[in-house]
Amino acid sequence: MSEPLISVQDLSVSYASEEGEVRALRDVSLAAHAGEAIGIVGESGCGKSTLAAALVGLLPANAHATAGKVMFGGRNILDLDDEGKRRLRGRHIAMVFQDPMTAFNPVITLGAQLVDFQREHIEQPAAELRKRAAAMLKRVGIPDTERCMASHVHELSGGMRQRAAIAAALLMAPEVMVADEPTTALDVTMEAQIIHLLRELRRDYDGTVVIVTHHLGVIGELCDRVYVMYAGEVVEEGTAEDVYHTPGHPYTRALIACDPANIQEPLSVLPTIPGRLPDLVKPPVGCAFASRCTRASERCRSVPPPYVELGTGHAARCHEAQR
Amino acid sequence: MMALYEVRNVSLDLAAPASGLHRLLPGAWPRLTVLSGVSLSIGTGEILGLVGESGSGKSTLARAMMGLTRITGGSLAFEGRELSAPADFVAVRKSAALMFQDPVSSLSPRRRVGAQVLEPFHINGVAPPYGEKTAQVMLDRVGLPAALAQRYPHELSGGQARRVCLARALALDPKLVIADEPTAGLDVSVQAEILNLMTGLRRELGVSFLIITHNLAVVRHVTDRVGVLYLGRMAESGPTRQVFAQPGHPYTRSLIEAEPKADPRRRRADLSLKGEIPSVLARPAGCEFHTRCPVARPRCAAQEPSARMLSQLRMARCHFAEEDKMITQGGDHGITLEH
Repeated sequence: MSEPLISVQDLSVSYASEEGEVRALRDVSLAAHAGEAIGIVGESGCGKSTLAAALVGLLPANAHATAGKVMFGGRNILDLDDEGKRRLRGRHIAMVFQDPMTAFNPVITLGAQLVDFQREHIEQPAAELRKRAAAMLKRVGIPDTERCMASHVHELSGGMRQRAAIAAALLMAPEVMVADEPTTALDVTMEAQIIHLLRELRRDYDGTVVIVTHHLGVIGELCDRVYVMYAGEVVEEGTAEDVYHTPGHPYTRALIACDPANIQEPLSVLPTIPGRLPDLVKPPVGCAFASRCTRASERCRSVPPPYVELGTGHAARCHEAQR
Repeated sequence: MMALYEVRNVSLDLAAPASGLHRLLPGAWPRLTVLSGVSLSIGTGEILGLVGESGSGKSTLARAMMGLTRITGGSLAFEGRELSAPADFVAVRKSAALMFQDPVSSLSPRRRVGAQVLEPFHINGVAPPYGEKTAQVMLDRVGLPAALAQRYPHELSGGQARRVCLARALALDPKLVIADEPTAGLDVSVQAEILNLMTGLRRELGVSFLIITHNLAVVRHVTDRVGVLYLGRMAESGPTRQVFAQPGHPYTRSLIEAEPKADPRRRRADLSLKGEIPSVLARPAGCEFHTRCPVARPRCAAQEPSARMLSQLRMARCHFAEEDKMITQGGDHGITLEH
């Protein structure tokens, strides 16, 4: 396969806290190629949002990368100074946030903000930038672009707001677009429409889309490859098809099993994942999922599991995983 | 059997936001219809689902059932007694509890969890049944450790906050719990725990639930019957299994088809439901769904459909409900049509 457009290599990130260093990401690796849509899936506390923040160079102030790299365009993003990161963001790497309400400034019209975003990167008369903004709004399916440009963010419906946020992200035709829970705040119908839009945009956009979500449905509809995260580690990676149909990690299997959307016949008791996340101040010596795994043995608790290759591009971090 | 809670033909109109001119002129202000002719009944120990998009009136109906918003037409009855005066609702609120949509904002940030779950007893002048241990017993009932009583809401996870709200709703041993989006924003494993908790309470204590949600997977798995609201009107209602197996209203069908599929092999090519739910300020004439309906015909824009009974238990408000149902039946199962 060709060189990845953006890649994460053995990244570890910790947060400073009163109890000590919270080891939020541990040895995470990921690669995304041009034209590919990858998904990062996992539940609260798995580190997916920290990983997304690292990808766009937006790690919070109390976080620091203790090891590893985020490579883009031959450079390690983590080494760039604030100015360097700022020049990268928006122009080359853009982010769509979960809540577009807070992603826009509430007291400035959307039109003015969309013009402003471009000023950072290109020098053209305001009228030209406005035209470009309107064209992008039209592209993401906003019918009355003039009215949208004159609106403040609270005046738009949830679906329109998310469309506007996607337009803002794509305005500079970035190589990488990272979307953090892009449909979580939406109704099922709006969710379907945003999924449809992202899929459509992929057709004439040859960059990489990274979708961060806890919703397997979004992965299934949108992503080519998926990384499953648990307690700060990637526990499985593979094509969306492989991961859904032949999951290699017990956590992936449990995650698929407890989503009622995947259960055809109604059950009186839904499957759950008993237990809770391990304390990431002192991550377990062995497998992070061992305390909740129904098949865990003594070895799982004491020996870190290997990353077992199950097929081409399909791997799971589990002692029991087999080709 | 008498229904536990009966909602009959309920309407709710609000005064439209008046323009300057209307404020100066005498006479009627424009009204806007939030709910129109909504009927539903909840039996003892039954779990009823209410689905629809944002803006369909689901939460308004829940508030009206608790007497937090006044209805302008129709009637509400709890255990066979008509509810009209505010005092009637005070009594209802002892036997029915509402779990608000946002658990964190429905808990006071400045009081400990233990004090908050005991609030229903203080408000209603009832002695806590287990004395000092009451808070502990209540938290235990929803699977939370006793130590949580000492915590403040900001120290809780989303799932824990949800459980605290459920514990508080269950304080006075209600016969009915109205849960507004009880699993919104939760991880799937935690969502499954909350749903199992609710079905367990129904089984063990016979509590009835009205679950308001836009998550169809939740409805499919835990509810006995379902009502589908669109722009303040009941588009369809009936036993959950039947409605999901063979939706009678194009809106229900569109909602079911809109659900994202986790299986990449079942990826859909296109969406059937375009556009957004219209505003109640610009309610479409005729059938309110015709502007987005994939199978709308000229008649739909002109004439309001009436509620059609597809069977004794199933209703769909669509001009072509029966016809459509017969066609699908004929197509799928080879049943001959009778004319």
